Amino acid sequence: MKFGRTTVSDEIPTASMADIAFLLIIYFMVTTTFAATRGLDFALPKDEDNPPMIEKEESVLIEIGPSGNLVVDGQPMTLDKILEYLKPKLERNPNKPVIIRPDSSAPYGAMVKVFDELRRGAEKGVEVKSISIPTQREIDQFWY
Amino acid sequence: MRIHAGKRQVPLIPTASMADIAFLLIIFFMVTITFEVDKTQVTLPDTQLRFEVPKKSAYISVTEDGTIRVSTGEEISVVVPGPEDVLSFAASVVAADPQKVFVIKADEAVRYQIIDRVIDALKQAKVETLYLLSRAETVESAAGGTAGAPGTGGG
Repeated sequence: MKFGRTTVSDEIPTASMADIAFLLIIYFMVTTTFAATRGLDFALPKDEDNPPMIEKEESVLIEIGPSGNLVVDGQPMTLDKILEYLKPKLERNPNKPVIIRPDSSAPYGAMVKVFDELRRGAEKGVEVKSISIPTQREIDQFWY
Repeated sequence: MRIHAGKRQVPLIPTASMADIAFLLIIFFMVTITFEVDKTQVTLPDTQLRFEVPKKSAYISVTEDGTIRVSTGEEISVVVPGPEDVLSFAASVVAADPQKVFVIKADEAVRYQIIDRVIDALKQAKVETLYLLSRAETVESAAGGTAGAPGTGGG
């Protein structure tokens, strides 16, 4: 009587390894979302009981109207003219504070655009060292 | 005369390194994946200056209709009833980590009043660093921006 002997392979079957790996790749590719993780940094001032008083005449006031229109020191102005307007003032006093005061119904995007423009001033030789965006509570408490 | 055919060559594509390549790609995706804690769909304002937001920052998202969502940066964001609730949220986050960075992810068309109250709450909670999330400004968006139009209204 003849006994048939089956030989058992000692190799680990790796043929399906690539299939599994590619399935995982597809999963990661589908679930990966490229999140927007960049923005403008904004150092908040310390909440002091006695903030330094700034004379109204010393600062530049940029008001943003409900439609996003800009009024700088009482004069209507376009965004691209702000740095031009600030240049001589900052040459005389490099620490001149610039205050951004958006209207309560102004679009948030308009404030960000003004803030971005002022921050980019350094590239154009008009470095604005002090940019302040007071909140309504601060205005009610300290504005005069 | 019998002609012996040569040893028949079986066409094979070498696939031994396929798994290695695939696993390299998996490692790449696993390392670079960041789980978005806030999936709120908003139209971010455009800016030319943009800095990388530190990982695990706390998020405050505001949609155009004024809905506010908050996230500590570890969990999925949740809706809060109003800007007043941002103060208690921010205070608890700052108490756990005083250096925590906060991010405002707001729609560009949202009324500033809401953002003002959110920023005020963050100031009161003694948050030190805040990021205003934005998208890169393109030539088209720069030409069609809302700010910059001359006008007479004031704040």
